[in-house]
Amino acid sequence: MKPGVTQVSIIMKVLLLTIGLVLIAAPLQSKAEYGDVLINNYSEDAGMRPVVFPHWFHRIRFRCKVCHADLGFKMQAGGNQINMLKIIDGEYCGACHNGEVAWSVETCDLCHSGLPGMSTQVHKSTASRLLSGANKKQQESQQ
Amino acid sequence: MIRSSFELHDRCCRRGQRLWATGLLLLAAGACGAAEIRSGEEVYGVSCGGCHATGVLQAPKLGDNADWSKREQQGLEVLLEHALKGYKNMPARGGNPTIKDQEIENAIIHMLVSSGIEKYTAKPAPAETAKTSATVASVADRKPVPQARSSSVNSFNRLMKSKEEWNLAPPKDGIHDPKNEGTHMLQSPRTAFEVLVSAKSGNRVDWVKALEKGEIAPRYDRLDPEVKPVVMDLNIVREVKGSMPDVVYPHKQHTEWLDCSNCHPAIFIPQKGANQISMASILLGQKCGVCHGKVAFPISECRRCHSQQKPDTVETVNKQIN
Repeated sequence: MKPGVTQVSIIMKVLLLTIGLVLIAAPLQSKAEYGDVLINNYSEDAGMRPVVFPHWFHRIRFRCKVCHADLGFKMQAGGNQINMLKIIDGEYCGACHNGEVAWSVETCDLCHSGLPGMSTQVHKSTASRLLSGANKKQQESQQ
Repeated sequence: MIRSSFELHDRCCRRGQRLWATGLLLLAAGACGAAEIRSGEEVYGVSCGGCHATGVLQAPKLGDNADWSKREQQGLEVLLEHALKGYKNMPARGGNPTIKDQEIENAIIHMLVSSGIEKYTAKPAPAETAKTSATVASVADRKPVPQARSSSVNSFNRLMKSKEEWNLAPPKDGIHDPKNEGTHMLQSPRTAFEVLVSAKSGNRVDWVKALEKGEIAPRYDRLDPEVKPVVMDLNIVREVKGSMPDVVYPHKQHTEWLDCSNCHPAIFIPQKGANQISMASILLGQKCGVCHGKVAFPISECRRCHSQQKPDTVETVNKQIN
């Protein structure tokens, strides 16, 4: 057998093992809904609870394209430098959360409803389970 | 260390969970303590056997009934005290301060029983006395005795979430703050999903089917509900190395939700053979993993992508059989 082939098979075995571990570990994770994004780029530093963005709620009402193409949301948790000024000016969340399509910025605590101490992440994402430290802050705060 | 403890404490306080945290720590400590008590045989094998197996330094030898009978007449308490504090050539705790009192006692009883001192063969473990004294056959192999026949320990799917734990309402989901007033005004996913096609993973909703069946009508435009998506019906088959079936990528289901620019060209170069995709990169959130494993159906749904049997697989198997 070529050395390259052996390496590939080892990588595959490691991968399968990892998937297995992820599946086993899955129930031990938080009970949040799959795809819930917690955004804590600036919130807690500014004295607000972090924001919970529920993907499930929004995809019932909009196709991915509306936010991720038209409104320019990058497909990365915390990758959009969103602040309240941009929202008030109609960018990002503010394109809909303006009191016409969806609730406006006055109802702070409907979006800023996350538990304090959590870091920005997509809940139950495979990558965050695999990459050590991605959930560290959250686990610490739950201890 | 001190700083992080303070931070932790601070967080616990802020969340009003100081009591919870303390309780959990105590529980954890209790569980660890209980789990770590080893059997007499085990302790003997690790520590005591060094002298008591051969009888060096006048140690009573395992299996020597006369040797042990003499000592046993002093009573178990005296033997235990000698073992704990040391006596003549016997060092305290056999020279290993980490061995617990109960373990030392277990080891003494093991040696007595193994040396034919029958008095101890029926002595139940102190902790078990109250509940199961009648059922204990031998103390020599102090195995934990099951406490109840209908124990939930051996029920099905110990590690799997029960249906009641799926799609919890925001105040109970572990990421929303229940102390926040707004949290209680938010819709519960369970209520929303009741009318949608269910699935086995992710949100437990089959989003593609729910859309096909018209159970949901997500807008393609921010304001105009009448705008229809530009759907492209083109399947791309990707041959896969190894034994997994080939991947069929349907543009149709993807363009129902997404715009071409969401994937092309940043994630996938729109050209045959130009994209190197591996499960490793997907698991780490790249390529297909930008959505699958985060919002779109999870990576555990192998066969939804690896859906096309390799053309030569059936023939190869048939050849091997013949």
